[in-house]
Amino acid sequence: MAIPASAGLNWAGRLQRSLYRDLVFRRSIYGVIFVVPALLFFLVFSLYPTINGFYLSLTEYSLLKPPRWVGFGNYAALPGDMLFRQALGVTVTFVFFSVVPKALISLLIALVFIADFRGREWFKAAYFTPVLLSGVVISLVWKLLADPRGLLNIVLAPFTHGRQLFWLADPHLSPALIIAVDNWAGIPFYMMVWIAGLVGIPREFYEAALIDGAGRVQAFFRITLPLLKPTALFVLVIASIGAFQAFTLQYVMTRGGPNNHTTTIALLVYQYAFNYYRMGAAAAVSVVMFIVIIALTIVQVRWIRSEETSYV
Amino acid sequence: MYSERGAASGVSPNRVRALSRLLRAARLLLLYCGLVVGLLLFCVPTYYMVTTSFKDESEVFAIPIHWLPHVFRPDNYPAAFRVAPFGLYFVNSAFVALSVVLLTLFFCALCGYGLSKYQFPGRDIIFYFILSTMMIPFQVIIIPLYVLVYKLGWTNTYAGLIIPGSVSAFGVFLMRQFLITVPDELMDAARMDGAGEFAIFWRVVVPLLRPPLATLAILTFIGSWNDFLWPLLVVSKNKLFTLPLGMTVFTQPLRQPYWTYIMAVSTVATLPVLAVFVSLQRYFIQGVVLSGMKG
Repeated sequence: MAIPASAGLNWAGRLQRSLYRDLVFRRSIYGVIFVVPALLFFLVFSLYPTINGFYLSLTEYSLLKPPRWVGFGNYAALPGDMLFRQALGVTVTFVFFSVVPKALISLLIALVFIADFRGREWFKAAYFTPVLLSGVVISLVWKLLADPRGLLNIVLAPFTHGRQLFWLADPHLSPALIIAVDNWAGIPFYMMVWIAGLVGIPREFYEAALIDGAGRVQAFFRITLPLLKPTALFVLVIASIGAFQAFTLQYVMTRGGPNNHTTTIALLVYQYAFNYYRMGAAAAVSVVMFIVIIALTIVQVRWIRSEETSYV
Repeated sequence: MYSERGAASGVSPNRVRALSRLLRAARLLLLYCGLVVGLLLFCVPTYYMVTTSFKDESEVFAIPIHWLPHVFRPDNYPAAFRVAPFGLYFVNSAFVALSVVLLTLFFCALCGYGLSKYQFPGRDIIFYFILSTMMIPFQVIIIPLYVLVYKLGWTNTYAGLIIPGSVSAFGVFLMRQFLITVPDELMDAARMDGAGEFAIFWRVVVPLLRPPLATLAILTFIGSWNDFLWPLLVVSKNKLFTLPLGMTVFTQPLRQPYWTYIMAVSTVATLPVLAVFVSLQRYFIQGVVLSGMKG
């Protein structure tokens, strides 16, 4: 019996389709093979520690004996823990004075650098150099500068009437110095971020504003600032997340001293875990830090968004 | 603008032009004064680091300040490297950083390629999962991560230093976003020629990925080279110290600091980063600006 022509076509088409599907399927296996190593990595070294961190925070654990369940005991102990309360205060102060001046000063410098002038690229590259130094190198260099006999006191002598200031041993001066050093090291980085944002604003916007008779100040507040919202959000979020985790400067310059006046939350986590082997308590402090960081990020996103609506 | 105003107040145009030129000169002068102040603020500490490394120890706190060494002591460098095995620490740092870079480039490119050019169920969920791990601050998982590495027996090993940093979510994201803009025809053409899927990745995709790979390589190298916290936790044996970790022997409380040596080692520790910066400046700044996204 002859097979109807249409059926034959159908059959051939189906074969073709199934071959194609087979091909795509066989190819997709490779996609899976390519993705699996990285996926496994993130499951083991990101997801698992995140979940295990929550679990460990509910236990007492010294690495030597298996974790012992204590429920919310670690968290309940935190409000009464003087070290934690002090570290919280130190961290909040640090975050504020690390983020706000850094964001503003780097914006000001970026505004200068988008103008045209001779030697601009040269200056920009020179300003950028602190970004090349590692946290440990920055700490050591500033430790030298802040020595009572060091450059900092010599330069500041006219303002301090030649008094020898003990920058790293004074409970008020040492947090201030660390904040200043953090700003020094961070401003060049955020300067580059702001410049990238500013360069991205089309020139036509300014030309149109000029035609409409806007002055430069007006153009800044009406065009530059609103269009810099994404950059501003980026700077604020990244700077705050970084500041909340501040560790290296404090560890190398003062070891959290004098009298824990520079012990940040991150340093406290380290001390709990590796000086007292209280992994559970350390994990609990980490979880609190996580929640605060997420809350702050949400607040900043909301704040920038609400500002946006008022401008448009 | 000025000429209009000048005409209105009856001042000759020549004087107005001279005045405006003077004004512009004054503004320029102000600009450069400000720029020089900034230059001093940002560069003097680094300059002081380098010059101190060549001074005699007796000059470090000399008054008035020695802006250049009066006694030129390049032998501070070999002497500093004898104080502690900084040569070994340097090699350790280089080995760890290069391993981390190679692993990160390979796995991020592979994963980014798999996520952008293949269809399979759950692909987008996997992508968003990887993306979401960027949101977790490192300090938050550092304790459980340490516990994991401890249980794996990786404390005081190169594996402990290298493997937890060997893939970056940001890198996967960067590679995927780049490859999405690349037309499929490039890979299909290679398939027509009978190339296997991995050969296509290696011979077609990797060369295409050169620009984002350069950015990721710089970022990863500097991150690993300068890292302090993770090596501090994982390594306690001297012979595995990385350079930043080894340098903290100088900060141990009861030790008399030997500033010329400290600055010599600091300078050496900065040189590789400086070399990368000078040779790959464009990728470098792009990378640094992007790196914030890593969180």
